[in-house]
Amino acid sequence: MKKPPRICLTLTSAAVTGLLALSATAQEAPQDGVYKDRIDWGVQMDMSGPTAEAQSTWVKGFQDYMRKVNEAGGIGGRKINVLAEDNKFNAAQDKIIYEKFVAQTPVLGISGMGSSGGQVALAPTIRAGKVPVVGTYTPTKALIEPASPLTYHGMCAYKPMAQTGVGYFTDTLKLKAPKVVTVSIESAGGKEYHDYVAEAVTKLGGTATLVTMKVTAVDVTPQALEIMNLKPDFIAIYGVNNTAVLTMKALAQYGVKIPAFAITYLAQPQIYAAMGAQAGANYYVATCLSPGGSDDTPGNKELSAFADKAGRGAIKEDINYAAGWIVGHMVGDRISQLGANVTRARLVESMGKGFTADTGGLTAPINYSTTDHGGPQVHKMISFDYATNKVKSHGGFKDFEKYIK
Amino acid sequence: MLAQVLFGGLAVGSIYGLVALGFAVVFKATDVFNFAQGMFVVCGAFFAVTAVSVLKLPFGVAVMFIIGASALLGVVIHVLLIQPLSGRPMLSVIMLTIALSIVLRALIEMFYGSQGRPLNTPLPSGVFVIGNLRISQLHLTAMLVSWICMAGFGAFFKFTSVGLLMRATADGHEAAVVSGINVNVMNRLAWAIGSVLAAIGGVFLGQLQIVSTELESIGLLALPAVVIGGMQSIPGAIVGGILVGLIEQLAATYISPKSSDIVIYGLLLLILMVRPWGLFGQKELGRV
Repeated sequence: MKKPPRICLTLTSAAVTGLLALSATAQEAPQDGVYKDRIDWGVQMDMSGPTAEAQSTWVKGFQDYMRKVNEAGGIGGRKINVLAEDNKFNAAQDKIIYEKFVAQTPVLGISGMGSSGGQVALAPTIRAGKVPVVGTYTPTKALIEPASPLTYHGMCAYKPMAQTGVGYFTDTLKLKAPKVVTVSIESAGGKEYHDYVAEAVTKLGGTATLVTMKVTAVDVTPQALEIMNLKPDFIAIYGVNNTAVLTMKALAQYGVKIPAFAITYLAQPQIYAAMGAQAGANYYVATCLSPGGSDDTPGNKELSAFADKAGRGAIKEDINYAAGWIVGHMVGDRISQLGANVTRARLVESMGKGFTADTGGLTAPINYSTTDHGGPQVHKMISFDYATNKVKSHGGFKDFEKYIK
Repeated sequence: MLAQVLFGGLAVGSIYGLVALGFAVVFKATDVFNFAQGMFVVCGAFFAVTAVSVLKLPFGVAVMFIIGASALLGVVIHVLLIQPLSGRPMLSVIMLTIALSIVLRALIEMFYGSQGRPLNTPLPSGVFVIGNLRISQLHLTAMLVSWICMAGFGAFFKFTSVGLLMRATADGHEAAVVSGINVNVMNRLAWAIGSVLAAIGGVFLGQLQIVSTELESIGLLALPAVVIGGMQSIPGAIVGGILVGLIEQLAATYISPKSSDIVIYGLLLLILMVRPWGLFGQKELGRV
């Protein structure tokens, strides 16, 4: 048989090499933040503004999950490069960062977006755009309702939070018509939360009263006296760290032992420490996710082990760290589903069909259908055990499903 | 109920008075309207966290550490920032104190992170019960310490030679220089005192709630206190602080928490319109 001429072999091998190179570049999408060896993912959160304490902890959780992914070789051989930008809790800053992530330093998707003002202002732009926002920290109707394939909420929602707290205390205290006080900072969010509490209480034949305080309150004697006059069966707390600490301390000062449940954001080690054992004994939190070290689920063990290794032991019990980790988990899983050909369009298309996020027990399975992108719904109750210095879960998520209507 | 509310207002107002006193001392001595006074409160609280939680110093030593560190902070700020701007228009110095406040906040968040820190000192935290009145020992301690500090500094200004020199410097820089007083040393001392008083307020505020840079907004309640009391008046600052605390509590009890801002700043506006030198200040007379 006649040997093929050398020139043919050379041309064939050049063509094969060229095709291979072409197919490799075809899988790059720099305009979407996708490169041969890395994928850029944006995070826009408040890291120096009024909510930096909680939101920067969330960012650490998100970054740590991606570090874990990268240490294991990345996704499809690509490392996840987290571009975290500080929005200073400022809507204008959110807009600048969003535009930057869309075109200037393009990213595959964005997470966080912890300012409700920024979300509301950007909602029409995000919905009309091409960059998915996956795992928002703050729920706003403008972004989530009606469901868009570009937006997914990733933190506990106020309505199921209120339903779970009210249902749990009504059952455990064996109440027929619960009398509840909502202690809240003076804000639109506080009023909205109280409405959810009142709705849940009214369904049980009870009553709910709103008692407000300033964000910058130093002494809450007037509020404590009002609560004592109202004699509620339990209290719902909405606000900032200070709201929870001052309320529980003031009630303890008066020797009042009324149990209270706070919103998820107020499950932080520094709050338990500042309250102390006496005031903190009656303090519970309704949460859709488990803080590090609070149970033995595989997801929690993984989070705790990585946090300890990364020197985050001090904040692993902070709910915000777990929340960031969970969104990181969700984002990582969604990217993995795409295989080698990763683009914004494919990610949006894939998520838009609906999916269930499995967080290894850190939350109940989170279902995103084509019509509901509200994020985690099932909540549970936790408190801090001062004897063991650990967060304690009062049951698994399954035990609390009955309270979500 | 009224007695309980009045006690709460008096306790919180005493802390405001302490911070306001520091503000007034600095203003009287150096004519600087210090917008960083709220951050001095925060610095004091973080010095306490460092001493108690990080260095785990015995409480007595921790107190000395807090006083020393905050005094040093006041002196350093005066030497590096305020003194070089001496004689410049007031607006420049005001801008400087605003910038200083932003820089201090950023530095604290860089060193300590944005996480709030609990501050648990051996200060008493129980409750006395007298009839229907429940007196928080921490509030009572804050009130007593504030009053002792205010009385101590009052006596210092009135009865000591250094206090006399400081008052002389505050009354007239040129006259003080001519008399051989080292004006810069007096001014540094004023900044040190202002910073220490704010720090003591910060320690109590930090223990009442959580130590974070958000304490700044509470520390800044010293501003309406000094304007109401009289910017040049030491007793005025104290009374102004107590008034702000009482108004805050009474308004929150009998109207709504939000209304306390309206009442406090409404009073401030009224004072500025009717008696701009404050309740205890003296009208400045100038020759034309």
